[in-house]
Amino acid sequence: MIETARTTRAAGIEVRGVSMRYGNAEAGATLALKDVSLSIAPGSFFVLVGPSGCGKSSLLMMMTGLLQPTSGQILCGGQAMDKPYPDRAGVVFQEANLYPWLTAQKNVEFPLMLKGIPQEERSRRAIEALDLVGLAGFAQRHPHELSGGMKQRVSIARGLVQQPAVLLMDEPFAALDEQTRLTMGDELLRIWERTGQTIVFVTHSLTEAVYLADEIAVMSARPGQLMEIVAVDLPRPRSLEMMGTPEYAGLRNRIWQLIRNPAGPGHEH
Amino acid sequence: MSTEAAAGLSPAATRRLILLLILLAWEAAPRLGWVPSLFLPPLSQAVAAVHADRMAYAQNLAVTLGEVAVSMVLACGSGIALGAVIGSVRVLRKPMTSLFSSLYAIPLVILYPLMAAWLGIGPESKIAFASLYGVIPAILASAAGIQSIDPHLAVTARSMGATLRQRLVHVILPAAIPSVLSAVRIGGALAIVGVVVAEMLTSTAGLGFLITSYRTVLDSPRVFGAILCVLAIVLIFDAVVRWLERRTAGWSAAIGRK
Repeated sequence: MIETARTTRAAGIEVRGVSMRYGNAEAGATLALKDVSLSIAPGSFFVLVGPSGCGKSSLLMMMTGLLQPTSGQILCGGQAMDKPYPDRAGVVFQEANLYPWLTAQKNVEFPLMLKGIPQEERSRRAIEALDLVGLAGFAQRHPHELSGGMKQRVSIARGLVQQPAVLLMDEPFAALDEQTRLTMGDELLRIWERTGQTIVFVTHSLTEAVYLADEIAVMSARPGQLMEIVAVDLPRPRSLEMMGTPEYAGLRNRIWQLIRNPAGPGHEH
Repeated sequence: MSTEAAAGLSPAATRRLILLLILLAWEAAPRLGWVPSLFLPPLSQAVAAVHADRMAYAQNLAVTLGEVAVSMVLACGSGIALGAVIGSVRVLRKPMTSLFSSLYAIPLVILYPLMAAWLGIGPESKIAFASLYGVIPAILASAAGIQSIDPHLAVTARSMGATLRQRLVHVILPAAIPSVLSAVRIGGALAIVGVVVAEMLTSTAGLGFLITSYRTVLDSPRVFGAILCVLAIVLIFDAVVRWLERRTAGWSAAIGRK
């Protein structure tokens, strides 16, 4: 059953000169993202942070293929994300967005059902995915019978059930309380260590960013631009105790300075 | 709420108890001389009247049921369809909902004489009137329900690669069931009202016709016998809708309870 682990092929993501403009030119279009280029290594945990309105969620939505950039290109495993490719990229949103009329298991089966995979295989893979997120005993519950954290786990299981090369997460724990949020972060790292796909994670919590990431892209607001990519060289597996170390605080502080004072990294030195 | 909890009764049991008390009062009040039995004959007399004339009642019940069935299909079918379009097309939503809300305030019964003139006093005019009477609230309920569907559910399906058809069948349709049922509940109930009212005004058959014709000869037990038949239709309709809700939209009720 645990053989789902590591059968996944991770893929990298290339963001090449991506700009995003909302509205039409005459009526004062908003430039949400300006010429963002970055490269995400296969199998890495990549976090996007920045002030609200910096376009980090838009950038993630473009990686999912739900949104197309005004200019530039996004490649996942070398292929353009011109529409959603669910077996390439699983998506987890801020809200769990589960279908309230389906059980947890049927929710996880949903993407497999869309592809016409036979029921027997669907159930087997959904139960495996639920087991992976620690909800094997809750397969027959409906969403309204689950807590906020559990719903988000089901949503993660649904994102992982096709063993996509990349898991794209848009502030997935933002709606949860602080304690559940920390536990979920831990849980996600544990899952990622077993499955090994690339994770791109958007958050506005710097604590969460440093705790989870291999690399953190720090973005500036209006128009959203990439300021710096900060490598997080804290050892893995991460533990909550690390939050007390000077290295952790130093990284967090450095990112905070970047966001607070977007004049440039020069001033701090 | 608190007294009910104190008595240890479930809402269903409380409902049954209240119904039983009303029926008992119906029987007792005229017998004890609290109300003249010309105004309210005892329940047992009304039941006996139906039993004695069961052929006549059955024939008229069948007429009413047929008219109600056709009206419900017309009112709910077109109401749900129109409501779905109005609820999902943004430019229509505001103007059409306010238009239909205003129309809803018109006492549509003023149109019935016109319909009787156009369509005759047979079932056609009843069906036309009852359908019109039921369709507006069905439109409003269905439009409100469609609007309340969380758009994220469809976006999420798209992120999972769902085609437009798959999104309609697997997301929008099941999400719409509770609002469709509330449209059926409200449109259907008003279709029953519409048919009976129209029969009472001008007709040659149906339960409404029985009520009016027995009333003119002051035959109270038979009037109430016909009323009992109407009540039976309403109760059965309500039970069917409840059953449908339990079968298909239990999740929605469960969310509402939270």
